[in-house]
Amino acid sequence: MTFVDILLTLLRGAGYTFLITVCCAATALVAGLGIAIARELGGAWLSAVLSAWVYVFRGVPMLVLLFIVFFGLPGIGIDVPPLLAMMLSLGLISGAYLAEVFRGAFAEVNPNEVLAAQSMGFTRLETLRLVKVPQMARFAVPGMVNELTTILKFSPFAYTVGIPEITKQAMALTATTMRGIEIYAALGLIYFAIYRLLLGGVRLIDKRYSIPGFAQE
Amino acid sequence: MALLEVRNLVKCHGDKTVLDGVSFELEEGEAKVIMGPSGCGKSTLLRCLNLLNEPTSGEIWFDGEDVTRPGVDVRALRSRIGFVFQNFALYRHMSVLDNVALALRRLKKLPTREAEERALEELHRMEMADKRDAYPAALSGGQSQRVAIARALAMDPKVLFFDEPTSALDPIMVREVVTLINRLYLDNVTILCVTHDLSLARHISDRVVFLDRGKVHAEDRIEHLLERNDEVIDEFFGGEG
Repeated sequence: MTFVDILLTLLRGAGYTFLITVCCAATALVAGLGIAIARELGGAWLSAVLSAWVYVFRGVPMLVLLFIVFFGLPGIGIDVPPLLAMMLSLGLISGAYLAEVFRGAFAEVNPNEVLAAQSMGFTRLETLRLVKVPQMARFAVPGMVNELTTILKFSPFAYTVGIPEITKQAMALTATTMRGIEIYAALGLIYFAIYRLLLGGVRLIDKRYSIPGFAQE
Repeated sequence: MALLEVRNLVKCHGDKTVLDGVSFELEEGEAKVIMGPSGCGKSTLLRCLNLLNEPTSGEIWFDGEDVTRPGVDVRALRSRIGFVFQNFALYRHMSVLDNVALALRRLKKLPTREAEERALEELHRMEMADKRDAYPAALSGGQSQRVAIARALAMDPKVLFFDEPTSALDPIMVREVVTLINRLYLDNVTILCVTHDLSLARHISDRVVFLDRGKVHAEDRIEHLLERNDEVIDEFFGGEG
């Protein structure tokens, strides 16, 4: 079995890794954005509740939450499919981190621009949609890329709930061939390739929406 | 009846009284400047007038309507008052044209094409039409202020509020903006301007409301104010007159 054969064998699991990463990233994005926007619009009480949520989810180890969701919830009659369990653990934990990224990015928006919009007659919601979110999203790109990378790097935990992603394929292949160094080196290469692919996608989006001079003032 | 009539306006922040019974009037076509030492409540007054800050008590009559009564249509009020901020406050993620057209599309509900045509008219008036596709980061302070004025004028307001329009500019840009606001003044645009800038006050105002510690200390023509033997006013102008 050549190194290329090893790569091709492992690539069978790459689709799962990609799927887990994209689904968890989407969950994180929705959760993070939802929390950040609710904090912007909500009162002190809602903000305190959401801060507590973020505090808890940032502190819980990912594997512990995954096991609670996948192995714990069936005990009270709630069966959670493996991919959904990943989204409810890795996705929500990353969502809590993204909520903090978005909070920082919202703070970068010039308050005078917000005041200008409100002085023209825009409501708080319109100001958020037309002025704050479009700027916040651009400020948040570096933090979002970091979190996307973290999600990719945590995706191998999916093997613990039975998803045959590439780390699982690598473990199985090592057990039958005993060529661990080559197999895990190939695994590292594949992860790096997926990382570059995702980063390329983010950079394309970033370039598409980039604004000359923005965030340099 | 005056376009804007402020009666005994009070604004408190906690136990601090920022505005303490301010009263004055602004006629249609008049240009009035509000001056006074830092912290005397000038900017707070301007923000109370379009309800960005909620007054604690008193009345504000705008265009024949008491806008301090409960249930007033704040959006309708604000769309009739153009507001130009000292730091320009252009939306950094939008081009010059979009900055001016945004409220026309979203608040006045004009179709995009019509909104852009209207925005371009105002940009032409401010001699900024050639910068329509530029972003705020590429503009000088004076150019940014022109766009901010175009954005306010595009909504066809009954009055234009300026909050320290020259304080963020270098002396050359100050001259440029003073000339521009003077042109609006000569065009009979109703103006209420908060400023520290004596030169601006001389060029654009009919009368000056001089605030001190939240109260109207004096209201008069600028040259008459400068001729007064008034300790507070003399100290503020520092012998500039």
